[in-house]
Amino acid sequence: MTARSTRSRHADGLRRILSWQWRFHPLAFAAGLAMSFVPAIAGITLLGLSGWFITAAALAGLTGVFLNVMIPSALIRGLALARTFGRYGERLVTHDATFRFLADLRCRIFSGQAREAGSGRVWRSAGLLGRLTADVAALDGVYLRLAVPTVVAAGVGAVVILACALLSPSLALGPLFALVATATVASGLVRHRKSADGRRLEAAQEALRVRTVDLVAGRRELAVYGGLDARRAAILAADARMGDAEAALQARIVRANVWAGFAAQAAVTLTLALALWLVASGDLDLPRAVAAVLLVLGLPEVLAGLIAGYSRIGLMARAADRATARAGSVETAPQEPFTLKAVMSASGEPAGGHDVLTLDGVTFAWPRAARPVLENASLQISAGEWVCIVGPSGSGKSTLASLASGLLGPLSGAVRLGGTDLAALGEAELRRRITVIGQRPALFNDTISANLRIADQTASDDRLWQALEAAALKDRIARQPEGLETVLGEGGLGLSGGEQRRLGLARAYLTTPDLFILDEMTEGLDAPTAALVLDRFTAFRGKAAVLMIAHKREEMARADRVVSVGALQGRV
Amino acid sequence: MPDNEPENVPDNENDKNDMNQAPQATTADHDANRAPNVTVAVTGTSPSGADLSGGAADAGSRPSGQALLAPAEMRAMRRAGNMMSLSDLLWIPQAGVIAWLVAALLSGADGEAGQSAANSLPVILAAAAVFLLLAFARLRLNLSAQTLALETGRGARTRLRRDLLAAFAAASPSAPLPGSGEMAAHMGEQVEAVGPYLSNFMPQKVRLSIVPLGILFATACVSWLAALILLVAGPLIPVFMALIGLRAKAASLGQQKELTRMSGMLMDRLRGLETLRLFGAVERTRDEIEEAGTRFRIGTMKVLRIAFLSSTVLELFSALGIAFMAVFVGFSLLGDVTTGTWGAPLSFGAGLFILLLAPDFFAPLRAYSAAYHERAAGLAALETLAELNERLASAQSCEAATASARADSAAASPIGGGPGDRALGGRNLSLPGAGVSLALEGVTLSLGGHRVLNDLSLRVNAGDHLLLSGPSGSGKTTLLDLLLGFHRPDRGRILVSGFDLESLDLDWWRDHVAWLGQAPVLFHGSLRANLRIADARAGDRDCLDALALAGCGELLARLPRGLDTPIGENGFGLSIGEQRRVALARAALRKDARLILADEPTAGLDRDTADAVIEGLMTLGRDRTLLIATHDEALLDRGLPVLEFGRLEASVPPVDDDTQGRDA
Repeated sequence: MTARSTRSRHADGLRRILSWQWRFHPLAFAAGLAMSFVPAIAGITLLGLSGWFITAAALAGLTGVFLNVMIPSALIRGLALARTFGRYGERLVTHDATFRFLADLRCRIFSGQAREAGSGRVWRSAGLLGRLTADVAALDGVYLRLAVPTVVAAGVGAVVILACALLSPSLALGPLFALVATATVASGLVRHRKSADGRRLEAAQEALRVRTVDLVAGRRELAVYGGLDARRAAILAADARMGDAEAALQARIVRANVWAGFAAQAAVTLTLALALWLVASGDLDLPRAVAAVLLVLGLPEVLAGLIAGYSRIGLMARAADRATARAGSVETAPQEPFTLKAVMSASGEPAGGHDVLTLDGVTFAWPRAARPVLENASLQISAGEWVCIVGPSGSGKSTLASLASGLLGPLSGAVRLGGTDLAALGEAELRRRITVIGQRPALFNDTISANLRIADQTASDDRLWQALEAAALKDRIARQPEGLETVLGEGGLGLSGGEQRRLGLARAYLTTPDLFILDEMTEGLDAPTAALVLDRFTAFRGKAAVLMIAHKREEMARADRVVSVGALQGRV
Repeated sequence: MPDNEPENVPDNENDKNDMNQAPQATTADHDANRAPNVTVAVTGTSPSGADLSGGAADAGSRPSGQALLAPAEMRAMRRAGNMMSLSDLLWIPQAGVIAWLVAALLSGADGEAGQSAANSLPVILAAAAVFLLLAFARLRLNLSAQTLALETGRGARTRLRRDLLAAFAAASPSAPLPGSGEMAAHMGEQVEAVGPYLSNFMPQKVRLSIVPLGILFATACVSWLAALILLVAGPLIPVFMALIGLRAKAASLGQQKELTRMSGMLMDRLRGLETLRLFGAVERTRDEIEEAGTRFRIGTMKVLRIAFLSSTVLELFSALGIAFMAVFVGFSLLGDVTTGTWGAPLSFGAGLFILLLAPDFFAPLRAYSAAYHERAAGLAALETLAELNERLASAQSCEAATASARADSAAASPIGGGPGDRALGGRNLSLPGAGVSLALEGVTLSLGGHRVLNDLSLRVNAGDHLLLSGPSGSGKTTLLDLLLGFHRPDRGRILVSGFDLESLDLDWWRDHVAWLGQAPVLFHGSLRANLRIADARAGDRDCLDALALAGCGELLARLPRGLDTPIGENGFGLSIGEQRRVALARAALRKDARLILADEPTAGLDRDTADAVIEGLMTLGRDRTLLIATHDEALLDRGLPVLEFGRLEASVPPVDDDTQGRDA
């Protein structure tokens, strides 16, 4: 019972991908399937017709009976052309449909992940990210290698069975046997798609990657502290596990091919024997018998496509499960509230006068955590006020910042911005009014100007330079030959750690929020840079209120008010 | 790099080949492991004309990367290809059986002999049995060929990895090598790409050189005109395919860049998703991703339109070849065509026979072309690996030299005793408890063509503390590397408590050094495992003491599972200050250390953390020799002796340390 329910849950990924692709563009989906029949049918008919033609010709040559040769020979050439160009058209149609769908799927996954951003499930792991993009790429096969070959094999198989049955009912036995046997082999592959070997292979691949990264990045440590040989052995162990898992997977595939191949050959033999016996007993004329044999002879080609596609079903099933799980939240996530209240409050309730930020009896706990991080915490920040939150590590300072910025929602209590609950504010409105400056600004593999314009798409170059100046980075960027159009590497490569932080600041300076949230803004900066950064920020913030998480004296000194996290919760 | 996972554009031409090409299908799963090799345009793209005309002869202009493959592996692949070819050629007798049976029936139906040999059930059954037996033999051969090919492919990959690791281990740790992500891609995906090339493409190449010739010969025995039809249709294919393939290749070059950009972009944006959300840029970025996807699709389809065209040419010629064959045979049997045979007119049996053979003349060509992208990916990977091997070989350092010296002297004087008194050359070395004295005598070292240290002489007494200061690139780190044995001086020598460093067993020497790097690396694994790298015998008590000394008390309290908490990329994220402290704790676990080397231990740290790290180092350095390379004013103000670097070495081009620093 458990096994069954597990299996049915596993099936979801592939089915969902198929149904998404169908719903994405039903016409393209169906057109691709329809197109793929043309070359398959043409190819198999070409063989059958050729066999019939030469046998009939031989009989006519022997007996002198008139045979219309023009029609069959023209048909043969026509089928050859139909097969060739049909295949070309089919490929274009099916590939185009698939790429369209995958582009859409990427966007879905991105949106799905966007809903979870900041909720603690941040992806630091390059391995996971790499896996996801590889998964999406692997999903092209769901339609091209599973759906199309299945429909084609079933359709062509049915046509051949029908054609043989029309020639003589018992001749249907051969192709029927081939089809059933292939289906059995394919269903075996489907059943084993979730075998442990596939997961083991992926785990071993990841182990190989991680261990190599460790070996290379830590080679000085390993040389000094020892363990180089142990690391080498560990990498080779991962290689061995990879090889074992792959060999197990391949063995199943090879077996499937052998069985499918044998079934096809047996079907040919059966048809050959039956057809000849029918001729010998006078129930069938020879040209039709040869046609039947050649029709069945063409069947393995079609069925092999099916097995080839199903050989990769394990990979695709795992990819589909993961990708749909990532994108799934798109469908289930609640839409942004679009209430009259939200619209009203969005249309310019004055920020002044009120408290900018209010936390009212806020409690938050991580799922499955033993005790809440914050319990009944309350805080008011009035317009223009600079409040510093202090507390030991792990006391919930960063959680408080995440709650205040709306990345996390409170378990109970309310977080209000200018008197409106964050949940009732639209996401766009919320982001316009709050700017977060964190410890690690994400920089993208793009130009400096593009990295800055994330904060304000329409900012002019002049404004970008102003922001850079305010972040004490103008000279550094101006020295680059390409200036603002300098392309940063992945994760801001090309800038030092401190420079990356300051670029993050410059980005924040392009916004004009009601509230800045600073999370350990100067952590990891050396003292002179930290002082410079704080000076520039103080000058820049204007009338915006500030919620600062800090533990350094220099930072606390700037605040109007310093509160400990414990005090917020009524503790001392 | 694992970040740039491209699409594997599927080539469904594999899918529709006949069962003789099963190996292709069975190895298709390799694609799964071969992510970052761009296969877009190569899908179904033609082989170059030169390649095909070269046939199986794989000599000639062999790319350097192929030298990485062992002769035994090449031989095994040829054997696998031979078995596959034999399996294909067995179709000739199978077709013979069919043709003979049907022809016998025809002569029976003619009614001239009344009872033909084929009219009886036993004969039909016997013929069917022969046919089935041959089929069985073919499958058996194919199975063996595939098993051999897969096993050899696996062995080759393991061997490539082992060689790479050996070369890596022999290279100096301070040699400039590719980044860890890139190396991981080499070890993982690049080596994987060699698998399909070996176990699928190579046998197909052998098959292409044998099977069409065999079929051609069998056809020619029956009819020279039929053989001529094949001969014309066959070789024309590569010519056309080469023409189209060249265009596809040109188009695909641009597309590969687009592909890398697009998949890199999705990952990049996902990684920074929180920032995007905080700036309200999610929708905009989504549109950007969509746009990139559309651009990529249009570009890919442009390439595929050409690439598919080349396989269409192949299909067209093979289909036309078969059609012409059928028409020729048909008209010969009608008596309208009387030429084309070796004398006697074409009989029905012979006609059916050559018609049945025709598709198999083209099948290896199709399989070869479908496997062609594996050749491109495999050769590119082999070339990359060969290059990397070369780079590693040129970075071979004293590691290799001393390793061999060690082996020599170990043979000369086998040394017993514990780790404390192991030495080379028969001399017994025991180090004093209070650190080692160091002496550099006229040390000169050039790296990458630049003189980094010039005739440097220096004495440090046992237990002394010394700061090394000076601008970036002035040789501070190089001096530490020299003391660790990562470099050997070009001239001069280094004495450790009076013993030449070169005469010491490097492993033994390093066991007595504790080192704190500029960008300490923590390994994937638990905190405990990371600490115990320095001392495998350290217990929990030792670990906790070391952490306390390094000021990690607060960190430890925060870790959800204490010493068992996994850290590193997939684990708990540590700030750079925390990483330094953990590294300091690791150094503290090395209780045998006589010398402590620290490279910029406070760079990029805030004052409080920096002070904590310095205090830890000072505690650790009590009664030990301590060398710290630093810029830190606060540290320099402590009144310790300072060795000023850089004044004497004005010629050294400065290296921007800032960009080399790793940010956590």
